[in-house]
Amino acid sequence: MPVLSTQLLVIGGGSTGLGVAWDACLRGLKVVLVEQGDLGQGTSGRYHGLLHSGGRYVISDPTSARDCAVENRVLRQIAPHTIEDTGGLFLATPTDPIDFPGRWFAACQELGVSAEEITAAEALRLEPALNPRISRVFRVQDGSLDSFDLLHALTAAIKRAGGQVWLRHRVEKLILNGNTIVAAEIRALDTDELLTIGADFFVNATGPWAGQVASMADIQVPIALGKGSMVAMATRPIHTIINRCRPPSDGDIIVPVGTVAVLGTTDVEVQQPTDTTIEPWEVDFLLAQGEILVPQLAHQRPLRAWAGVRPLYRPTTVVLGETRELPRSQIILDHADRDGLQGLISVFSGKLTIFRLMAEQVMDMVCKHMSIAAVCHTAETPLTMKSRSFYKLPDRLAKLEVTTSHDLPQVVCECELVTRPAIEEALRFASTLDLDDVRRELRLGMGPCQAGFCAFRAAGIAHELAPTAPTSGGLISFLEERWRGMVPLGWGHTLRQMELTRRIYLELLQTHSLPEPTK
Amino acid sequence: MTDVLIVGAGLTGLFASLLVAERGNAVTLVAQGRGGLELSHGCIDIWGRATPSRALSQLRKSHPYRLAGTAALHAALEFFEEITQQAEYPFPGSISRNLHLPTALGAIHPTALAPQSLAQGDLFDGTPFTLAGIDNLLDFYPQLAASNLRRAGIAVQSVLELPIPMDDTHHDFYTSDLAHFFDKPNWREEVARVWKPQLIGIKRLGLPAVLGLRDPQHVLEDLQERLGLTLFEIPTLPPSLPGLRLEVILRRRALNTGVHFIEGPRVVGRIDGGSDGRRVSGVVLQTVGGPRVYTADVVILATGGILNGGLVFQQDGRVQESVFDLPVNYDQGRGYWTTTSPIDSQPYSGYGLLVNDLMQPLDDKGAPIFENLYVAGGLLGGADRTMEGSRQGIDLATAYRAVEVALG
Repeated sequence: MPVLSTQLLVIGGGSTGLGVAWDACLRGLKVVLVEQGDLGQGTSGRYHGLLHSGGRYVISDPTSARDCAVENRVLRQIAPHTIEDTGGLFLATPTDPIDFPGRWFAACQELGVSAEEITAAEALRLEPALNPRISRVFRVQDGSLDSFDLLHALTAAIKRAGGQVWLRHRVEKLILNGNTIVAAEIRALDTDELLTIGADFFVNATGPWAGQVASMADIQVPIALGKGSMVAMATRPIHTIINRCRPPSDGDIIVPVGTVAVLGTTDVEVQQPTDTTIEPWEVDFLLAQGEILVPQLAHQRPLRAWAGVRPLYRPTTVVLGETRELPRSQIILDHADRDGLQGLISVFSGKLTIFRLMAEQVMDMVCKHMSIAAVCHTAETPLTMKSRSFYKLPDRLAKLEVTTSHDLPQVVCECELVTRPAIEEALRFASTLDLDDVRRELRLGMGPCQAGFCAFRAAGIAHELAPTAPTSGGLISFLEERWRGMVPLGWGHTLRQMELTRRIYLELLQTHSLPEPTK
Repeated sequence: MTDVLIVGAGLTGLFASLLVAERGNAVTLVAQGRGGLELSHGCIDIWGRATPSRALSQLRKSHPYRLAGTAALHAALEFFEEITQQAEYPFPGSISRNLHLPTALGAIHPTALAPQSLAQGDLFDGTPFTLAGIDNLLDFYPQLAASNLRRAGIAVQSVLELPIPMDDTHHDFYTSDLAHFFDKPNWREEVARVWKPQLIGIKRLGLPAVLGLRDPQHVLEDLQERLGLTLFEIPTLPPSLPGLRLEVILRRRALNTGVHFIEGPRVVGRIDGGSDGRRVSGVVLQTVGGPRVYTADVVILATGGILNGGLVFQQDGRVQESVFDLPVNYDQGRGYWTTTSPIDSQPYSGYGLLVNDLMQPLDDKGAPIFENLYVAGGLLGGADRTMEGSRQGIDLATAYRAVEVALG
């Protein structure tokens, strides 16, 4: 079994793990990060896209609110290319608790969360699609943050700084020497090979899997899993983030992201990190709540639904209760203090908005243990990759419009304006020829037809680049992944779209009769 | 003379209108949209999974083929062949043995009848063939198709990319763009001049289906002669040319035989008649000028299934027939309609109207609802057309049966 060694091994490639690895690289540590899936496959990629102003937590969780307000400003400085500055509104409707807006506004002022009251008429001028029966409206500094862009930027920054990111590598065993963790046994999922990595320190940033990873070192981490479902509408009737001004609850937010608007979220306790099945009632509830804020959503087509699993901390004192009631602030467990086990810190819970702060806090603790004097530089180091700034649809449209007809590139995915050169570049840039990786990078197949047309084209292009690859970029698994997001919305126009995809791939192309791919 | 009103302008509605007109009756065809032919491969699938003629007699009694009867299927195919022969767009093939046609993905499409330009790609024909893509065409990837065919043990001689004779080649083309070019003789002459030197030693050449829309058989023969080889076409993503050609042929004949088209308005109501209300005496159309009543002796519903709008799946878990709200056979509750993979059979595919062997829709007690209302095509339940490979066969057989019964 090959043995490698590094100073710091980070387990988990979500925003927290990548943030820790980036922070460690900037402090001069030698870092390896392992992730069992692809970038954004876990909780970080399965969220609604909100860069919190802090307003959501001013009453229920003041520390989180204050942290969000600060980190919101930091991220706008260091990663502007991942953020659309939509601004946000908190709306009180006639059905919400009447005393809440007053208390909420006072708490914002006390905690330094910027909020400004505007009239309902002004709000309707800004966003004509809002419910005209709103009673009070506050403006906040929300934004919409593309987590795929963020995770890509973090990965690139880690690699630039000399760190390593290994996707599709799963930790199977933690190896102890006395009461110190010295190594991890890791399986490369593509080749099924086992290898061992020795390290001076380990960070468990595996989100909903944190309990399972900790248990490899015989440590109990009291974690509760709160599944949150979201629905993306095929249109974007509002351009500002719309929050319901009431205590945090199911279905209290609408986030405009790219070409769609995302309705979030539910909170249902589940037993497994992989349990992301969406129940019909969740979809119905989200649509009904969304309609209260923006009535015209009743006539729009839902495009796709997905669920993420929040890793929440359940202190032993709280035995029962809704996952919604559990704190949202970050949890950092130093297992040396807590369990007498040297060399491991677990970090989970928290919000994507404060991933950088969580990483800083973790690395301060790691450095203390390792007697390293380096300080954090992430708050002032830009993450933006200038060379890859064509992600936003309006940018793509602008770029295509200024192009003369002589060098107009082929548009392969009409919904998201993904061109052939962009796909070719992404396929070369990615370590695999997987169409789902291309999707995460370019939004291929994420528009109204959900890859019904472009999946075939992209498979053809992938095959031209790598003729020996037998699976054509995993065409069937790509279609299955798109299908799963439509199944919870399988009625009306969405089901018609699903049927069109089946007509194309089964009747016209006879995809199901292809011989099984050979490995 | 019977006055027949048909709702729907897909394969079923158009074919039914020709049958009615052929027998000297007045026919009005009402359609809100265009039907689904441009989404199809343009062949006639009867039974994809086995020898059609043998499989059909073993189906359960509620299957549309059993209800329509084998005689209706054979008679329908006979009339279909007559239509396509007269239109000079022949469909070789037979109900006793499927053709095996290559798809654009390099899979195999078993089908009973196919237009000649597609049928010439039959994989049972042992003549070696080359696959060629066309520059700047977005919807055909011959390398991918060839690889998949080779994996299935089918020899592909070579793969080519052919240029298009145009000064400005920096355009994306869809198949429909190229088809309009191929309709022009000058273009074909130029194409042949540019392509011929690249095709030396090739006897049989597979191209994406782009060889003309208006007079495709002539385009095929002309180009084969100029290039000195056998050509075959492979349909690709919609708009699919072979499907469009079939639509053109059926519409052309319908107009020539006096079918009265009313396109655009939606059917919003029904005039019930007869002393016991068991007859449909007309329909109400929502026209620009307001609601308008059209009376008829017979009404045939050919509005299609979910894709074409004949069936509407509601968020509250109901499935409704969109024109007359006739009873639909389905599983209540939308959690049951789909499975987790698009390549599996889907429960919703089999939902639709229940009819008797006269193609009359039935109520929940199994009795016909109206004496003079008939249903055909995709609106009928009881068949998973996608997995069976039976879509066009059911359309033609049930249309034939409905017209035969309706006209007595």
